[in-house]
Amino acid sequence: MTAGDLFLQQAINGLSLGAMYSLLALGFTLVYGIMELINFAHFNVFMVGSMIAMLTLQAFGLSGQQTILTGLPLVGVLLVGFAVSMVGCGLIGVAIERFLLRPLRSVKGPAAMITTIGVSYILFNLVLLTLGTDSKNFPNPLPSISWEIGGAVLRMREVLIWVIALVLMGGLTYFVTYTKLGKAMRATAQDPEAARMMGVEVDQVVMSAFFLGSALAGASGMIFGLYYNLAKVDIGFAAGLRAFTAAVLGGIGNVPGAMLGGVLIGLIESGSGQLIGAAWSDVVIFGILVLVLVFRPAGLLGRLAPNKS
Amino acid sequence: MTATATVHPSAALNHQQRSLLLAALAFIFFTLLPQFWDNDGDLDSLANAMSYATLALGLNIVVGFAGLLDLGYAAFFAIGAYYYGIFTSFQVMPPWSDSWAPLAYVGLVEKINQGGPDLVHFTLSFWIALPTGGLVAAFFGMLFGLPVLRLRGDYLAIVTLGFGEIVQICARNLDWLTNGAAGLNGVQGPKLFGYRFGVHAEPYYYVGLVLVAFLVFVSFRLRGSRIGRAWMAIREDETAASAMGISLVNYKLLAFALGAAFAGMTGVFFIAKLQTATPEMFNSAVSSMLLVMVVLGGMGSVWGVVVGAILLQLMQTWFLPQMTVWIHDLGKMTGIAAFGHVDMVQWTQLIFGVILVLMMLFRREGLIPAVRRVAPLSMEQQTAHVVRGGFQGLDKIGRWTPGTGTALDIKDVVVKFGGLVALNKVSLQVPEGGVVAVIGPNGSGKSTLFNVITGLVEANSGSIKFQGVELLGLAPHQVLENGVARTFQNIRLFSNLTVLENVLIGEHARLTTGPFGAVIRPPSVIKEESRATEWAMNIIAMFGNRLTPRWDQPVTALSYANRRRVEIARAIASRPKILLLDEPTAGMNPAESLELAEQIKSLHELGLTILLIEHKLDVVTRLADNVIVLDHGDKIAEGLPDVVRKDEEVLRAYLGRSGGH
Repeated sequence: MTAGDLFLQQAINGLSLGAMYSLLALGFTLVYGIMELINFAHFNVFMVGSMIAMLTLQAFGLSGQQTILTGLPLVGVLLVGFAVSMVGCGLIGVAIERFLLRPLRSVKGPAAMITTIGVSYILFNLVLLTLGTDSKNFPNPLPSISWEIGGAVLRMREVLIWVIALVLMGGLTYFVTYTKLGKAMRATAQDPEAARMMGVEVDQVVMSAFFLGSALAGASGMIFGLYYNLAKVDIGFAAGLRAFTAAVLGGIGNVPGAMLGGVLIGLIESGSGQLIGAAWSDVVIFGILVLVLVFRPAGLLGRLAPNKS
Repeated sequence: MTATATVHPSAALNHQQRSLLLAALAFIFFTLLPQFWDNDGDLDSLANAMSYATLALGLNIVVGFAGLLDLGYAAFFAIGAYYYGIFTSFQVMPPWSDSWAPLAYVGLVEKINQGGPDLVHFTLSFWIALPTGGLVAAFFGMLFGLPVLRLRGDYLAIVTLGFGEIVQICARNLDWLTNGAAGLNGVQGPKLFGYRFGVHAEPYYYVGLVLVAFLVFVSFRLRGSRIGRAWMAIREDETAASAMGISLVNYKLLAFALGAAFAGMTGVFFIAKLQTATPEMFNSAVSSMLLVMVVLGGMGSVWGVVVGAILLQLMQTWFLPQMTVWIHDLGKMTGIAAFGHVDMVQWTQLIFGVILVLMMLFRREGLIPAVRRVAPLSMEQQTAHVVRGGFQGLDKIGRWTPGTGTALDIKDVVVKFGGLVALNKVSLQVPEGGVVAVIGPNGSGKSTLFNVITGLVEANSGSIKFQGVELLGLAPHQVLENGVARTFQNIRLFSNLTVLENVLIGEHARLTTGPFGAVIRPPSVIKEESRATEWAMNIIAMFGNRLTPRWDQPVTALSYANRRRVEIARAIASRPKILLLDEPTAGMNPAESLELAEQIKSLHELGLTILLIEHKLDVVTRLADNVIVLDHGDKIAEGLPDVVRKDEEVLRAYLGRSGGH
């Protein structure tokens, strides 16, 4: 491989990781934009999403990478996989919001954040106790079609991941830009007080933010499985830290910002993995987070969160 | 003065004494424990529990006192541990040269030979490492803290989470320094006058006990001092804290560094006891366990976190294993095989999560709350004895010399928020000893004017001079140090603190006690504290008995009007030269407004220059020598109250007489 091919290959990998991080970052950004809350539960909602996706695919009799599907069955299985993991995670998100966070909404201080940390442990350990710590073989029914571009390999799974991520992000953009509820969400992010006075139902807005964010985390969990062919109980932390960094990098609260940030973080990760070594990629990502927060807290596209001062 | 102060703050000593007595009893009990409980395993568990208690005490300073959510606290534990480990084990051995000889002479290193060239073996004494480990960790605490402590609290949480992870990654991957995942071996145990601690738990138990006692003592001393009040003020309301003269960055750094120092010392102790160090000992599970200990016991509650630490340790080392045995027995009795495979110890983290969630939902103040409940007032105490000024006890407020010139000189100040011009070239003067009122409709820029004077908002251009000192560019706490104190339109008190504590925080900038003074409490500090309390009580008494009987109540328990009064008292406590009052009578009934207007007038007669935002024109007319009218960021009128009241432009702005714009 020449340096150019290597670069291209890492760009392909980075874009796929980036698609996953973007979807996950959207969940952070939606909730933060509306409530100014870092939702630590999101880390493990993502992990649970990947487990739900795995169990769903296994329910179709798929295991490992032996069973390859094509045509309509493939599309059907993937659609059901995404639908179940997204709805499942969405409902978990709604439950967290409705039962554990809503009672705390008027409480000042770190109570809500501590609750999400607690929920994160609970999700993690429930999966740990039921499914164990071992790395699981994530069923992957995609045919191993790939194309060679110069010296780099573009696999079908990467194209698929890009397409799915683009569809979901396009859908979300449409939702927040044009629908009534989406506009209400943006209004609440700007000024919750004013939005309420204009008749926006804040409960509904917060709940939709949790549903959408968590559903995207579910999709992201399924993509993780399809990309790495594995599911594991401790994947939440690293992916979540990257996604949160992506959200901050793009400008927290900012929907296009989360998408851009996710792609950049994906590219940075694959690049730094190549250059410095994978063991240190957490340090690199984290360094970026600190640098952005210190020098450009508004992120690349500008922060969009309620101003509570 | 008819105020009936039934309980004076000196009575609060009773509470402290009770607390002290309890501590002494607990200390004696635990000191004697090994005499009648001679089980090495249990003592070992207790010594571990004490390590976690010291860690929880340190985290409590950061999270409980200063309100900084630190999710990577185990990093400092690791730093202390590896510091001691590296300097007593055979991990790092530079080649010997004679320049090491002086260190060898004092016993910090020794020359060894493992077949090859001579090498240096570090032999740092435990007793030196214990305090210096604290210092090293504190250094890293400041290093980590400096870039991120300016961030909002919620970002701090995720950044500290990352720091915790990075320190662990370093421990795992810097093989030459830490021996990687295998960990450091051959860490030396402590020696005392030739006695080697060895592997028995008892000596470690005593060291742990002394450490806990010491850190409990330090925590209490800090909490009841100027330092502790500053932290709690930051925890309750950063903006108000900085406006009351507290340097946010300095005090956050101090909390971070002290918390880290506690952890570093514990790290030294922990590793000396185990005589090995692996990265897993400091993983995020430890940070999360410590957070659970603090939350369970009560954030900010010293006894609470000690109890929380001991409870969780008991749960992990005794209760869960014991419960596993019971369930297994139950399985045998009932013949249900599934019970035989249950291992409750694996549930630990799940239980942690459940504890966090349940505590936040149902008992946020923790098992032993930091805030004491206060008895309700008697009817007699609740009866208002109104004082309409005529203050005597406050004559220490500085006097102005009439007609000496301009106190506050604001020139062409422009403040823009994005495209919105909040203040457009506003100029105004407040003469020494004057009372100037700023009026104007909502959104006219009045509060922005106060914010820009006090450093909460940056000006785009212009100048604000107070007694010749340029205030623009100063941090809020520096503005206060220059003698400018303010209140806020939407009252910003330190909610979970008492009336007295709120007013004492107002004095922050005029007191000098540092962290060492707060802990050692020499006569000078005791004197300063009692003077500060006396001054605060004098100010509280300014409002008749409205606040005096309530000095020990949390401000959340007060009525709206009383909260306004506390805010004014807090501002006056800082011995300001000029007082900025933002709608002081908002929400008060006419009688209360008048009462307060008289009191403000009395303060003015005592020597305060006053700049006032007010809507009630009768109050303005009663107080002000000069009125400034703002509208949409422009100054549209200025003059005597009666003149301004009749000004066409003002009437239009206020009442829309000539049909708006």
